[in-house]
Amino acid sequence: MRFLKNLYERIRPEFEEGGKLTRLYPVFEMMDSITFWTNKETESGPHIRDSIDLKRTMILVVIALIPATLFGILNAGYQESIVMGFERGWLTNFWVGLKLFIPILVVSYTVGGFWEMLFAVIRKHEVDEGYLVTGLLIPLIMPVTIPLWQVAVATTFGVVIGKMIFGGTGMNIFNPALVTRAFIFFAYPTQISGDKVWIKAVDGFSGATPLAIPAAAIGENAVDLLEKVQQFDYSWWNMFMGWIPGSLGETSAVMILVGALFLAFTKIGSWRIMIGSVVGLLITSLMTNYFSGYSTNTMLSLPPHYHLVMGGFLFGTVFMATDPVSGTYTDRGRWIYGFFIGMLTVVIRAINPAYPEGTMLAILLMNAFSPLIDYFVVQGNIKKRMARYAK
Amino acid sequence: MTHLKIRKGHNIRIQGEPEKTILSTAQPSSVALKPVEFSYVKPKLLVDIGDHVQIGTPLFFDKLNPEIKWGSPGAGAVKAIQYGERRVIEKIEIELDKAEESIPLQPNIGSGISNIDRQTIIDTLYKASFWSHFRQRPFNKVVNPKGSAPSRIFVSVMNTAPLSVDLNLVLQGETTGYFSSGLTILSKLTDGKVHVCYHEDFGLNLETVSEKIESHLVSGPHPAGNIGIQIHHIDPLKPGEIIWTISAQSVIMLGKMFQTGKIDPVIIVSVGGPSVMNPAHYRTRLGVNIGSLIDGLLDVNDQHRIVDGDVLTGRKSSVDDFLGFYNSTVSVLPIDRSKPFLGWIQPGSTAKTYSLTRSFFGSGSKRLFRFSTRQNGTLKALVPINAWEDVLPMDILPNPLYRSILAGDIEEMEKLGILECDEEDFALCSFACPSKIDLGSVIRKGLDLMEIES
Repeated sequence: MRFLKNLYERIRPEFEEGGKLTRLYPVFEMMDSITFWTNKETESGPHIRDSIDLKRTMILVVIALIPATLFGILNAGYQESIVMGFERGWLTNFWVGLKLFIPILVVSYTVGGFWEMLFAVIRKHEVDEGYLVTGLLIPLIMPVTIPLWQVAVATTFGVVIGKMIFGGTGMNIFNPALVTRAFIFFAYPTQISGDKVWIKAVDGFSGATPLAIPAAAIGENAVDLLEKVQQFDYSWWNMFMGWIPGSLGETSAVMILVGALFLAFTKIGSWRIMIGSVVGLLITSLMTNYFSGYSTNTMLSLPPHYHLVMGGFLFGTVFMATDPVSGTYTDRGRWIYGFFIGMLTVVIRAINPAYPEGTMLAILLMNAFSPLIDYFVVQGNIKKRMARYAK
Repeated sequence: MTHLKIRKGHNIRIQGEPEKTILSTAQPSSVALKPVEFSYVKPKLLVDIGDHVQIGTPLFFDKLNPEIKWGSPGAGAVKAIQYGERRVIEKIEIELDKAEESIPLQPNIGSGISNIDRQTIIDTLYKASFWSHFRQRPFNKVVNPKGSAPSRIFVSVMNTAPLSVDLNLVLQGETTGYFSSGLTILSKLTDGKVHVCYHEDFGLNLETVSEKIESHLVSGPHPAGNIGIQIHHIDPLKPGEIIWTISAQSVIMLGKMFQTGKIDPVIIVSVGGPSVMNPAHYRTRLGVNIGSLIDGLLDVNDQHRIVDGDVLTGRKSSVDDFLGFYNSTVSVLPIDRSKPFLGWIQPGSTAKTYSLTRSFFGSGSKRLFRFSTRQNGTLKALVPINAWEDVLPMDILPNPLYRSILAGDIEEMEKLGILECDEEDFALCSFACPSKIDLGSVIRKGLDLMEIES
């Protein structure tokens, strides 16, 4: 590594004040700090500091995503093999899945990374770490069949409109990865509406996602309908394990729970948001179950534990609702914020006939409301203090 | 006696914990007072180079509150007066005489201390220029003796900051008697209570000293020993109130002054940190020259940074510098300028990483860590992962407060409780912050804004 270190030291003057490439200093700083971190000393405040920094925080979320990612790659190949009727081994399935996943990942990191660097150079600040996570989240919430140019356009929208115009990492109101997905959702609905399965297969193949099946039926029992599906195995256990078609990272509840435990254990992700959201989902779906007898809406009869493992709920809750920047920043607020995400997910799924999946919209909506939730929590704190002062 | 349990916070496990023995040091050749340390004060000199002063002779006063004067920490000739930018007086150095004299105070009061009246105490404190030992909340600044009387007084007989002085070691033998006299004096300065917080019994039945004294057993990790945290939990500051605070060692000095009629500027200082070879407690004096204090104690293999104060709240210092007026700790840290390959994704180990998150291997270890001055990252935008909240044992929302200070919204800051805050209580937040934001100095900035406004 000495060679690389020496190389950096040799070219450093070119990028520093007075050099020929001063404008590109953020790019140089990024390369330097990725390879050799930083040796910055403390200047103001405590003379010693915790070993964690933002790069570490972000890479831990990436690590938490690895189980779901690996499973998603394998599952993408597996789903193709089922539909095509192939008998093939795990390795082949993984390889096939990898060939579907890598191009989307490369496009996401290249396009997003380009915008990050461009804005850092223009604004003369260090390149932010936030995109480490966003860049991986984007392919994980896309169908494998998505055209790459759409990924590029949507990523641009997500990064520039979703994050950069607010001032970059730490300033954004909405989760940039979800903005990316929402852009595709509304701009190119044929590819990503959420009712048809996304499997790389022969032309003309079509099937319904588990959420779309009860959404399309009237006056039936959701579980019975799912059990009757021949094309895929939509039993609860299989959906919990994740061997079903869906966006790349979202299908396996098990793998997402592994990531959730990791995030909560390392104290990077807020367990309050995760628990709050699951509680919101369970309570609301119990209520819809109660009212299902009075309505012909089949979705109302979907039981809580099915809601939990279907669609993108767990993935969204664990990896996107917990985004500390776009979520609430008070502990009490985090409970409320989580609860409403779970609740709105069920409400959108069950009551809105146009969208069989509600997690994305629920999180985006709550992103918009999180400052309001925090406002009330802060007012509560102030009121308590004022009452104490008045004594 | 009440029992206060603090749950949030963290005791930093840093190498170089001072041993529990008090060693004596050679008499330093000079001591100094640093006017620049006292915030919200406009110092005006009362002495010139070459003047001869006694212990307690006023060296300067505050132009804003001319009755507050600062007494000399030693007897001898004024050797140097150092100015900084814009003619700020940085320090007044006194070259010590062989035999030092204290300014004459009241004759020895001895056992009559409980009969002394408030006015005599106040006159003596003026005469001894002792006011700077008293600080007030809000703002944590030197008290204004002409201002309103303190609603209550707080004394903390416990230090939880890293490498700080073990006060139970200090309070032994006759010092306990001086401490008790000091508390008696304090109880006469307020109509309210004198709250004394301790974490371990130190052989003094506080309730018998005066009925105004209320004692509190406090347990928990740092910052449980910080006076601001104790005030917040025991009897918090309300608008319009003034709370006085004084350090335990100053209380000893106060008691001794009234018992003997002389000012004795002796204090116990802890010297510690990974670069100190034999960390221990040393008996020395106010404003001691740091070089003479740590002479021969440092590991010569290290490049180091000397910190006047503890590693969380102290100031960068050097061997030519002098101990800060309110400090009783000198810490020395190694400087590590290495650039580890892919350091930010290293798995971590008990020897290489230390984190309050569990994001490295060995995070929960009990081993003492060799901290250096590494920042471990660069300043970034705030990503609130609760690092601040987890180490702040106060009913204060740090994140909204931070935002209101950045916005300069004085009304909001006050509502969020900034007047109960001091930067030292937020030092652990700055330590833990993944974005490397120095929250403590932001809090100070907010307090400065409030002070200008009032």
